[in-house]
Amino acid sequence: MTRLPLLIIIGLIGISNVFANTLEKSLYIISDSIQTVDSLLVPYLSFNETDSYTKDSPIITLNYGDTLKLWVYNLDSISHGFAIKEVSGNYTIPAGDSVYVEQVFVDEGLYIYHDTEEYQKNTYLGLAGMIVVNEVNDHNFYWNIKEHNAEWNFNLTEGLAVDWENYDPKYFTINGNSNPHINTDTLARITGTVGDTIYLNIANTGLSIHSMHFHGYHAEIMFSSLHPTHQGRIKDTFPVYPMETLRLKIVPHQAGEFPIHDHNLVAITGNNIYPNGMFTTILITP
Amino acid sequence: MKKLFYILFFAASLNGMAQDQTTFIFSKMDIEAQHVLWDNTPTMLMGFTTTMSGSIDIPGPTLNYFEGDSVELKLRNMSQGASHTIHLHGLDVNQQNDGVPHLSFEVGHNETNSYFFEAPHPGTYLYHCHVTSALHVQAGMYGLLIVKPNTGINETWDGGFLYDSEYAWMTSEIDLAWHEDSIINRPHDTTTVEVLLPDYNPDYFLVNGRSEQELNNENIAVSAAANEVILLRLANIGYYGNTYYFPMHLNARIISSDGRPLPFIEFSDSLNIMPGERYQVLLQSTNELEAVIRVNYMNLNTQTVENTQEIAVLISGYFSVPENKYEAINIYPNPSLDRLHFTTEASKIELYDLNGRLLKTKVNSNFIDITDLEKGSYLINLDGQTKKIIKK
Repeated sequence: MTRLPLLIIIGLIGISNVFANTLEKSLYIISDSIQTVDSLLVPYLSFNETDSYTKDSPIITLNYGDTLKLWVYNLDSISHGFAIKEVSGNYTIPAGDSVYVEQVFVDEGLYIYHDTEEYQKNTYLGLAGMIVVNEVNDHNFYWNIKEHNAEWNFNLTEGLAVDWENYDPKYFTINGNSNPHINTDTLARITGTVGDTIYLNIANTGLSIHSMHFHGYHAEIMFSSLHPTHQGRIKDTFPVYPMETLRLKIVPHQAGEFPIHDHNLVAITGNNIYPNGMFTTILITP
Repeated sequence: MKKLFYILFFAASLNGMAQDQTTFIFSKMDIEAQHVLWDNTPTMLMGFTTTMSGSIDIPGPTLNYFEGDSVELKLRNMSQGASHTIHLHGLDVNQQNDGVPHLSFEVGHNETNSYFFEAPHPGTYLYHCHVTSALHVQAGMYGLLIVKPNTGINETWDGGFLYDSEYAWMTSEIDLAWHEDSIINRPHDTTTVEVLLPDYNPDYFLVNGRSEQELNNENIAVSAAANEVILLRLANIGYYGNTYYFPMHLNARIISSDGRPLPFIEFSDSLNIMPGERYQVLLQSTNELEAVIRVNYMNLNTQTVENTQEIAVLISGYFSVPENKYEAINIYPNPSLDRLHFTTEASKIELYDLNGRLLKTKVNSNFIDITDLEKGSYLINLDGQTKKIIKK
């Protein structure tokens, strides 16, 4: 009587192992700059997939049960750290050195990898990206949201102190871009057709709380790293706290182009110019 | 008397249910500072009024609709300057009626245009101007929009929670630097897309446009009886985050957000509401008490609390509540030709027409005969629960 269920369980484990993959990836820590919406070049750091610099730390996507084998190389002139928040341990990477991180991801989720050394400083300066663990779906979009104070970037890079308790950002970005450039980023700009099931993966790697409001549609919270009990809530406005990840499902019921923006409306500005901040549009065709 | 009032209210509500509604609203701008803050500081506003001669207040007039109403919201722009729109925040209207200037339309000075929509899910929503939204919202161009279920009773949505009284609180802030004449009374230039704004450092922290001692206003301070179920409609249109702290004895239940019921009710003495969010909360004290509900205003960049406002709560006397009031008494069949049956025996049964006239009474029964009634809708009160019934 007990043998059959046991066989089924063993069988299911076997099936899950059949679909588990291993992803090998390299990340290179490089110090360079980011261009603000008003064309100011500001010191910045990022993780890169090659030893060529881009401002965007890569999005790593995995399926349930997959193993991530990650080599992280520090090409900067100073020591950095590395961790996958709430998943891996903390690693120190001296300048010119590297670490190897291996991690199995069992559950659906959305994780932030970042520099843990001088945590606030280096994460603030750009060393943070996201790992998305979920079922494969074509309609995934990704937002790494954060804000910037250009003067602070210069000061921190030059080793000067900043007053963390009086943080006053002037630029607000999604994947490093502000309005109107967010809509040219195919990872960020949500597009689809009526009835699609669309997932938006958000990681707030900044220091501020952002309250993202959708016009035209409500969305369902599928995952929240900070508020797991909020799963299943259907809303039009979604606060995203610093270092929180949030996965939303949108099934558009109507066609149109509608804004999505931070409803802290100051965050729609860029260096006090409206509307050069955290503002994009969702475009749904019939 | 209180119950009769509710019956008449329900009847009036039913008469206005799910029908065509036309609302006229004016957008205006102060030429000189008129609105007086709690410490007698005058400030200039932009805002919405229901009459051409009306003074701007914040928030603007609350727009009330019933679920399913077909609404025409007419905006007449009397601002002397900038164009304006009405964004129906959370109503998920179509693009043409969404009130975002470059994606739908804007209404210039001395022009009138209309927004059309069907009032969706019952709940608490916002409306605000979306032209240079950071500036026009801070200037005062916002208000609440409430959609009630068309069940004709005080319930949160069809089949939702019953309540006895309600309060709607909309939080915001004022930074006087944004209300200077040079900012509010900006020359209207349709060729200018980008607008330079001051740094945001709010001086005043508001609930329904009021603060400090002004919060003793009878429309803001809570005055109720023990056992009375109070519905709070909470909305944040400011640029700071709010945290509400409810006295423990008010047994706060967080039931919905952004016009949708929560999948699980949350029992909590505190609640964060970030910009653009709305929540509905039920309060019910079993005892008399005198307390305050605190509202913190948090800078979203530093996550520090920069101000706290307090709203008085006075629970005095006892609300007469039949024991089974909050147990659902279901009526079947409904509609009916002859008898209406109740799932639980009611000690007192009262049947009213939609004008609030008492037609029948009965005691200690689990049915009532309606054979002699004419076809149509009626209201039945079963031990304090009022429901709509239909005679076939």
